[in-house]
Amino acid sequence: MRNQLRVLTIGILLTLGLIIVACAAPTAAPTSAPPTKAPVVEPTKAPAPTAVPAATTAPAATKAPEATKPAATSALAAQAKKLLIGFTASQTGAQQVASKKQVEGLQLWLDDVKKAGGIKLKDGTLYMPEMKFYDDESKTDRVQALYAKLINEDKADFLLSPYSSGLARAAAVVGEQNGKVMITAGAADDVTMEQGFKNTFQLYTPASRYLTGAADMLMKIDPTAKKIAIVYEKDSFSTSVANALKPYAEGKGLNVVMFEGYDTGSTDFSPFINKISATNPDAILGGGHFADGTTFAKQLYDKKTPVRFVTLLVAPPEPTFKDIGDAAQYIIGPSQWEPQVTYSAESAKAANIPYYGPSVKAFTDAYVAKYKDSPSYHSAGGYAQGLLLQKAIEDADSVDPAKIVAALDKMNLMTFYGVIKFSTEAKTHGKQVAHDMVYMQWQKDASGKLITNIVWPLEAKSADGQLRK
Amino acid sequence: MKSLTNPSLWIIWFVVLGVALMPVFGNLPALREELFVLLMLVTLASSVNIIMGYTGYVSFGHIVFFGIGGYTAFYLIQTLQFNFVLAALIGGGIASLIAFLIGMPVLRLRGAYFALATIGINEAFRTLVTNVDALGGAVGMLLQFSVYDAYGGAKSASQLAYYGIILVALLTITASFVIKKSKFGLSLMAIREDQDTAMVLGIDPARAKVMTYTISAFFPALAGALFFFKNGNIEPGPAFELHRSIEALVMVMLGGFGTVTGPIVGAFVYERLRGFLITDPIFSNAHLVISGLLLLIIVLFVTAGVVGWLRQRIPTLRRFLE
Repeated sequence: MRNQLRVLTIGILLTLGLIIVACAAPTAAPTSAPPTKAPVVEPTKAPAPTAVPAATTAPAATKAPEATKPAATSALAAQAKKLLIGFTASQTGAQQVASKKQVEGLQLWLDDVKKAGGIKLKDGTLYMPEMKFYDDESKTDRVQALYAKLINEDKADFLLSPYSSGLARAAAVVGEQNGKVMITAGAADDVTMEQGFKNTFQLYTPASRYLTGAADMLMKIDPTAKKIAIVYEKDSFSTSVANALKPYAEGKGLNVVMFEGYDTGSTDFSPFINKISATNPDAILGGGHFADGTTFAKQLYDKKTPVRFVTLLVAPPEPTFKDIGDAAQYIIGPSQWEPQVTYSAESAKAANIPYYGPSVKAFTDAYVAKYKDSPSYHSAGGYAQGLLLQKAIEDADSVDPAKIVAALDKMNLMTFYGVIKFSTEAKTHGKQVAHDMVYMQWQKDASGKLITNIVWPLEAKSADGQLRK
Repeated sequence: MKSLTNPSLWIIWFVVLGVALMPVFGNLPALREELFVLLMLVTLASSVNIIMGYTGYVSFGHIVFFGIGGYTAFYLIQTLQFNFVLAALIGGGIASLIAFLIGMPVLRLRGAYFALATIGINEAFRTLVTNVDALGGAVGMLLQFSVYDAYGGAKSASQLAYYGIILVALLTITASFVIKKSKFGLSLMAIREDQDTAMVLGIDPARAKVMTYTISAFFPALAGALFFFKNGNIEPGPAFELHRSIEALVMVMLGGFGTVTGPIVGAFVYERLRGFLITDPIFSNAHLVISGLLLLIIVLFVTAGVVGWLRQRIPTLRRFLE
């Protein structure tokens, strides 16, 4: 009896202890960007790439001058007005891998702006961006509460989106309610941007165009291909992609022999692989997100599925996809951006549009130097989010939301991330209309090491596409 | 309806309303968003408590009614331009009707079999909705932003949804209180303690259980309708998220199984605890483990939950703390 009482007391104390601690703590501790310690240089119009040598072709990718006069730059920084950029990131939950990369890219942009001394308007007013973000746990209901907090309590001046279409949808609603400008990245589905938003702008190529290029590529590198299987995750984004791909492929004369969705969180693809084997397609297109795409690719390899062409969403462009070893070889992934892309000041000139920001090489080198890892398209998306906001502030010569919206509406430019232009039609306002996908493939180099190459479109390719053996 | 004049109910109303109106009078939109989620959890936990706390039937998949209400209301608002209040009420009615129809066969099961069946029902509805194109399939549905213009703009619609959730939470608590204090509630508790004995006493368990299940389905459906209306979009995953259902059960166990105030206390404590754990660098990836551990401690040592324990220890509280 005495023992029971003792255990009971311990249990109660533990419970109460946890409750008291929980009640004493704030609901969500903000994660702020660490202040930069780098001496600030004279402000430049475009962000200076972090630790980047002069070897860059983009005119806007100005080399950061040698650090001089820390006292003077400190004074400059002190004069700068604070510009708070708020967003949520998925530090836990299903979206944490891609979300982390996105935040890394954004952090790099912030470092660059700080090194450049901030964002300067024509009248000399200087703005120094700071960012504040919360963990949204990859959950929709948390996103809305946190964005309301960012807007009303933290007084964020501008918003960026969380990663993934579902979370960005929820965030955009709150942003629109409060008239806040939001630039979304990692949010590609079409319907989100067909709600008649006024202040939300999409960076990514919409989902409806994710895999259509893969169908074109298939017909080019394997003209005998006739049958395709579309196997996709049954979530909003992947279903949008699959629904757009099916009529496109059929219109090109391909026969869709299998059109099946699998549940989010699926880990066993045996039933789908068995059906694929039974229908004997020439190609598989589909997938969903990182975890399921990686598992699907591995199981296709393990079961020796005789399909010559496999393109999966989201997972292949992630550098960690190579962790599945030989199963990664030949897998193709649509990507918003790859380090091998050829966007440059020259190509912008040829397209008769301005180029803005660092060169592809400058961004990639800076990212590798800071994070000791290759940037994925999510990382590049994070950087580009900030870059667009910076450009819009400079173009508007103001931080007034209405003027920023007008500047974004007019925007038509090329960056290291590609061409950016937004729809100005009322129903699709803010939807991305100019950015194009590239397709990368995991291939082996001469030494047998897995590397990625751009294989489509042909004008951007760094190697020929290879068929599975 | 004598129970409506009971001071205990008025105390609960006073406290809940006092907290809920803080962001309105203080003009604190961020707090309003947090309290919206909290009041939604109070509604979910209290409705689960109506079936679980009073009859002893553990409804693991109770979130299905949240999804049904959400989808019904969303469809009516988006496609047929219904007012959101009417759409929510219809959503609640449809959820109750479905609960009545599936309750008749399913409530014949006892114990773990019933719990498993409710999980199956939730998954079946999720899969069904995912495959119905009229409901947007896996992509879900979105409201055109101009829909909110009818309510004075999106910001005003969000405010209205908040008033709605306050009302729904209070209604759920009142229903829970009235049932507990009624003769009907006594018959439910008799079923909970020993169904066979209850039958001998003249209680019709099948009828009582189905009626309770039907009532308990109405409130989460209203909450779902308001949540997704405010959210502006609905997808099968978030609408039928089993995880949310399990969290509601934890709240009931934490606060006090079979009490009226227990689910309110449980929802508050759980939400605060969760808020702390997920943002703590040490516990952020283990918040469910810790919540599970906490539940284990309660089930083993404090089976009555926080409110039940207080009632046992401090007899004078029994008059006010239902």
